Order: sequence, then C-alpha cells, then structure tokens
Amino acid sequence: MATESGTRDQSWFGDTGQISRLPGRVFAATCLGATLFAILTVFGLLVYVANDAFRPATADPRWHLVFFLTLVLPSLALFGYYVARGDGESWVAATALGIPFFGLLLGSGVLLLFIDVLSVVAWLAFVLAVLAAAVVIKSHRRIRPAPGFLEHLLVIVGSLGAVAPAVYFGVVNLPVVPTPWLIYLLTFGAAGAALAGLVVARRRSSDRAGLTAAALVFAAAAGGGLAVSAVGIEPEIWVVLFTFAGVPTALYVESVLRERERPVGLLFPLVVVVGILLGAFLVDTLGFAGPDSWLDYGFLTSADSRFPEEAGIYPALIGSILMMVVVAAASFPIGVGAALYLEEYAPNDGALGAIVKLVQINIGNLAGVPSIVYGLLGLALFVHWGGLRPGIVIVGGLTIGLLILPIIIIAAQEAIRAVPDSMREASYGMGATQWQTIRRVVLPEALPGILTGSILGFGRAIGETAPLLMIGAAATVYTPPNGFFDLFSAMPRQIYAWVGKPAHEFQYGVMAAGVVTLLVVLLSMNAAAILIRNKYQRRT
Amino acid sequence: MTQDNMTTSDSDADTENEPLVSPAPGSEAIDTDSKRRRTIHDETVVEARNLDVYYGDDQALRDIDIEIPKKQVTAMIGPSGCGKSTFLRCINRMNDLIDSCRVDGELYFEGKNVYDEDVDSVALRRRIGMVFQSPNPFPKSIYDNVAYGLRVQGKTQNMDEKVENALKGAALWDEVKDRLDESGLELSGGQQQRLCIARAIAVDPDVILMDEPASALDPVATSQIEDLIADLAEEYTVVIVTHNMQQAARISDKTAVFLTGGELVEFDETQKIFENPESQRVEDYITGKFG
Ligand SMILES: Nc1ncnc2c1ncn2[C@@H]1O[C@H](COP(=O)(O)OP(=O)(O)OP(=O)(O)O)[C@@H](O)[C@H]1O
Ligand SMILES: [Mg+2]
Repeated sequence: MATESGTRDQSWFGDTGQISRLPGRVFAATCLGATLFAILTVFGLLVYVANDAFRPATADPRWHLVFFLTLVLPSLALFGYYVARGDGESWVAATALGIPFFGLLLGSGVLLLFIDVLSVVAWLAFVLAVLAAAVVIKSHRRIRPAPGFLEHLLVIVGSLGAVAPAVYFGVVNLPVVPTPWLIYLLTFGAAGAALAGLVVARRRSSDRAGLTAAALVFAAAAGGGLAVSAVGIEPEIWVVLFTFAGVPTALYVESVLRERERPVGLLFPLVVVVGILLGAFLVDTLGFAGPDSWLDYGFLTSADSRFPEEAGIYPALIGSILMMVVVAAASFPIGVGAALYLEEYAPNDGALGAIVKLVQINIGNLAGVPSIVYGLLGLALFVHWGGLRPGIVIVGGLTIGLLILPIIIIAAQEAIRAVPDSMREASYGMGATQWQTIRRVVLPEALPGILTGSILGFGRAIGETAPLLMIGAAATVYTPPNGFFDLFSAMPRQIYAWVGKPAHEFQYGVMAAGVVTLLVVLLSMNAAAILIRNKYQRRT
Repeated sequence: MTQDNMTTSDSDADTENEPLVSPAPGSEAIDTDSKRRRTIHDETVVEARNLDVYYGDDQALRDIDIEIPKKQVTAMIGPSGCGKSTFLRCINRMNDLIDSCRVDGELYFEGKNVYDEDVDSVALRRRIGMVFQSPNPFPKSIYDNVAYGLRVQGKTQNMDEKVENALKGAALWDEVKDRLDESGLELSGGQQQRLCIARAIAVDPDVILMDEPASALDPVATSQIEDLIADLAEEYTVVIVTHNMQQAARISDKTAVFLTGGELVEFDETQKIFENPESQRVEDYITGKFG
C-alpha cells in the first residue's frame, strides 16, 4: 500500500469532491421538509382553534403582561436552566407537575361521577362488600395455605357470590348511614392512607415509618376536610382531590428528596403554581380584564343552550366519561386476554397454528376497518340483536370498545412479546406452571407496555364520532346521563352538532371550546401514557 | 474453528510435551482433584438410553447412552453446536417449550422415563433445577427472586429461613443480607448468577443443571462459582456444560465429551478423559487440534 502512494492522487482526504454526498443531503432535506410540513400544519390548526376558544385578543394587554412576568418568564427560565444542565431535571419537573395535574383531573372525574351517577351509599356498600370478600379469601389462605384448586375456586366463588352481595345489600338497607363526607373519608381517605403506608413501609423497609405515613395521610384527609368545610367548601371535594392528587404528589416528592435525585426539578411545579396564583391575584387587584374566552368555567359546567354564551359541554363531558368507563371495562380485559392467548397459549404450527396465523392477520385488518362500519356492527349487534335501546351509554361504550379492541390486542401482544424468553425459561425452570409463569412473570413485566398501548387506544376511543352517529347517540342532551342505560351525548358528537348550527358563534367559538376540551382530555391521556412508559423504561 | 486452529498451532511448538491441557494459572498441570475430595458413591440418578433428539428434520443428538452418577459433578464438553445444551434441556424437559423439538428414546430420572405419558414436566422440573448460561434473575427483589420457586411450588412455610439458607448456600448472603428488597437486576453479573443458583437450590431439588454458568463472568466470579459447585456436590447432583477445559478438569468427577453431529464420543472419569482418553478424536479436541 505504502509503495503505491506516490503514483496515487496527492490528496486522499476527499477535498476534490469525488465522493458525492448530494443524493443523501437531498434525501435528508426532503424528509425533514415533509415532517416539518406535517407537524406545522397540525400545530397551526391547534393554534387557530385555541385562539378561537380562548380569544386572547379580547384581554387587556396588561393582563397578558402580568401573566407573562409572573408565570411564563420564570417557568421558561427555569426550564431553560434544566435543559442547559441536561441532567434529567426536566423529567423530575414534568413528573412533579404531571402527577398533581392528572390527580386533579382524575379526582374531578370521580367527583363528577358521584355527583351525577353513583350513590354514595351504594359506593360504600360496594367497597365493604369487596373488602369482606377479600378478607374471607385471605383468611382461608392463611388457615389452609395449600388448598386444592377446587377448594380455592369454591371459596372465591362463595365469597364473591354470597358474602359480597350479603354485605352489599346489608349496607344499602341500613336504616342509618354515615354522612357522605364520612363515607368519602372511610373509602378514599383510608385507601390513600393505606397506599401511602404501604409505599413508605416498602421504601424505608420499616413498618413504623409506613404506619406513621398512613396515620399522617389519614389525619390530613380528615383535618383538611374539617378545615375546608369551615370556610364553606364541601369536605368531600377535599378528601377526593387530596387522595388522588395530594397523596401521589407527596409520595413522589418524598422519594425525590430522600434519594436526592435531582431535587431541583421540584422547583418547577412550585414556580408554575405560585406564578398562576400571583398573576391571578395581581390582575384581580389591579383590575386588568382577562380574555372573554368561550372556554371558561361556565362552559365546562353547563349544558348546551340556544344562546352561544350560555352553551356548555357538561352533559357531553359526563357522557364521554361514562362511555369511557364502559369502553375500558369491556375492551381492556378482553383485549389483554386475547393477546395473552395468542402470545402464550396458541399453537404455532400444524392446522391449528394456521388458523391462529389467520386470526392474527385479521386482527391487524380489523384495526384498520373504518369506524363507521363498527357503528353499523354495534347497531346490529347490541340494538337489533341484543335488544338494547339505541343511543344509550352502554351501547356506545360497547361499540367503541369493539372498535379499539384490535388496537389493544396488538399493543398488548407487543408488550407481551417484549418480555424476554429468558424470564419465561427461568420461571419454567423453577417448576412453575404456565399459568404461574404468566401471572407472576409475564404479566407484571408486560403491564407498563400494555397500559401505555391501551391508554393510546382509549385516546382514539374518546374522539370517535362516526360510530356514535350510527348507534343513535343524541346530538345534544340537557341533563347528563345518570347511569349506563341512559341516553347520552359525547363530546365529539356534541361538537359535530355545534358545527351544524347556522350561528357563527357556534361554528367558531363554542365549537372551538369543545374541541380544545376534547384535545386537553386526549393529550393528558397520552401524556400519562408517556409518563408510565418513561418511568418503567428508566427502571430497567 | 479456524481461530482455534490458529491459536493452537501457534502454541503447539512450545507445548509439545506439556500435559494435554495447559495448566490454569496458579495450579499444577491438570489437577482433577483440586476442588473435589469426597467419597464417591456410584448410584445412577439420570440415565439416557438410545436418546435421539431432532429439531424439525435436523438431528441434534444421536443415540446417546449415559449414566449420570448421584451427588457428583458431571461435566459436558464439546465443540459449539454439538448438542450439549440440548441434552441438558432434555433432562428436565425444557425442550417441551420448543415446538419443533422431538425426542426419541428413553431418559430415566430415578428409574422413571421422564418422557412417559404420565410424567408431568412441571413436577419433573421441581426435582431438577436449572441455572442458565447468562444470569436471568427476575425483575423482582432479591428476596422475591429466591422465594419464587418456593412460592410457585407452594412451599411457603419458613420462607425467610429458606431464603437465607439458599443465599448462604450460594455464597451470596453476606453481600446482600442488608438489601434483600432491592431489585435482583441491581447486582453485578457474578452476583446475579449466584442469585440464580440460590434461586435454584432454594427449593431443594435433587439435580442441578448448569448451562455454562460462568461464561459471562470474570475470573474472580468464575472461581467463586467453581468453589460453589464443589460445595453443591456434597448435597446435589450437578450436571454442568462448559467450554472451558480447565474448568471441567478442575471441578468435575466425570466428563462427557460430545462431538459435532450430536454424538457422545466418550464418557468417563474426568481424570481419565483428560490424561488418557480412549478416542483419538477426544484427544484431538482436548488438545485443541480439532474444534
Ligand atoms: N431451538 C432450536 N431450533 C432448531 N435447532 C436448534 C435449536 N436449538 C439448537 N438447535 C440446533 O441443535 C444443535 C445443537 O445445539 P445446542 O444448543 O444443543 O448446542 P451446544 O452444544 O449447546 O452449543 P454451544 O456450545 O454453542 O452452546 C445445533 O446444530 C443447533 O443449531
Ligand atoms: Mg449451549
């Protein structure tokens, strides 16, 4: 090689341009352009809709200035600092802000359910019934540690079929029941306390610490309830929001502080909350008018109306939540079960294997079937054949559950496939049965992935409109559904109805507010999925 | 293959009259007894008769006959792909998990053919534990890892004590006793492999199968595992696959040499295999002339 260098071109380092990078550069630029175009289009649309919904231009410019100074500037600066340090603080910040946010969202959803749908006493009865059944099963396990399968099954069926209903009806028919807020305290407050106790006991490997934490949480739930009722807020609001938002946040903050894992990230939610409060206080005392948004508290809490200013999305919001309960309850267990069967049990070869392959291919196809066809299917299956009333919550939920079933199956299958075979082999090698392997190794490992995929599927479900049209969901209802067998409307259906109204304010203002509400719910669900995935990805 | 040939032909010149296996650092020639000094009972616990194994149409093992003695260490050596793992997985029927795998012939465990219709493979695996080539602890706490077998087998009485004994048996207790609730994945590779051994002995099996348990470990961890195997043989029958000739020589009582094509070419006392093998092919393999 060295001998030839004399006869070769003097410069070997490519400055004469014999090596062309041009096709690659053009290709990269085209890809980037296409991506940017797609993202910017969607983003532009979102900005446009958000502008219609909030109408920031109607606000006093000084209002904007105040919030810019108290909220936007400090949080941007802090976030920039996190990114500059690049040490993962931004994740701590996002999680610390996300947990209370989702907690509040979830807690509000639960509160709404209790206001409109569930009776508090029935809830208490249900909780006690489940507890009683669990106690029976557990104590049987303790007395007879290794029961036969039949005996075990008998106890489970017996406690669920006899003990639980007995307790339930006993409690429902009690002549005196505790006040609602005590019930909330005994169910949610106690559950939050138990959870906090377990987590802390585990983290610090000390039962004392766990007990203290549980006692503290319970005291906070009770004391806080009393305190807020003194200022005229209903104590059950406090108990529920505290359990769903306060407890998880406190647990997260505790873990970050104790392990010293980038605690600077915790500043972010503080800065945001203080910024909002301070800004609100300032504009209030200085008298700067905020924007005249279509999307405001009234929009979220009132029903539709002939007058755009009074129109709201509340009944459709409740309808969507109830429908999602049905969707999740119907599609999640079936989807995960189907995925488990296909991945773990189904034969791979032979005639049966061929059938399984066919099923597998068709699940892929089903995921792509147009949603209007599912609407038709739901109408045929649940209304004409099942004899249910068209347009009720359960019909909508089951139909859309069918629609996302293939999505959930595929997501769950992927998560299950991602569990390394070495884990399964280890389990079988220990003398575990297939069921034990699935229950103790495969499912726990795959669960974060299954949850992430399913939440994304639920996101698809909440925005579906065409099937709702097919099964006859009402365009507008003025009172939220009271149960799963009531007529309902859902957010996308209601939005569709608003677009059809002649008045300009409906077509632009109210509709935009509805779209933003829907998108916020959807994006929060997706963000939750990302948080779950991220948490478990970093663990392993 | 070529790699092996090259390295050996390099060293052949200097090691012409040396023992068949180059000595491990710090030891004298082949010391087949350095870690094993026990009375030897020659009771057979696992026995294969005319065992053929196929993956689809490919035959992986041909007509294997072997009698594995109780409470001894039996090593399986042979070139890559000769079917050592396959044989090991036949013993506790892990091959059942591979759809294309088919077994002909008989394999007796304590006198019962494990491929008989009435044998439950799960029950079999509860008597024959396994440690895999790369450490595969569950993503659970150290305690739960060791307790896993106890739980699935319903042996939940005195769990703490059993877990502690298993960890002591695997020479891991002192390193982890203060952090039993940390994830097993947070241990080092060598610790993870000892955790897997602890997990296997926690349920007190009769036989422990090890498929190259030290292949992913450094010399120190390897030596710890080797010491451990010597101790385990006081109580358990150990069958171990290894690619490391010195290791086989150091830790085993008997050695089985498989050669390409899935044949068991020679099976005898380890000392005999390494010092005076019957078959020329075995001698060639051990000296590295043939890989
Ligand atoms: N799951 C499988 N499916 C098909 N063929 C297989 C499978 N596992 C092993 N084989 C084949 O069986 C033969 C023996 O493989 P085996 O894994 O038992 O070899 P080995 O002696 O353990 O090799 P190594 O030392 O590399 O681990 C090989 O030819 C291999 O290709
Ligand atoms: Mg192998």
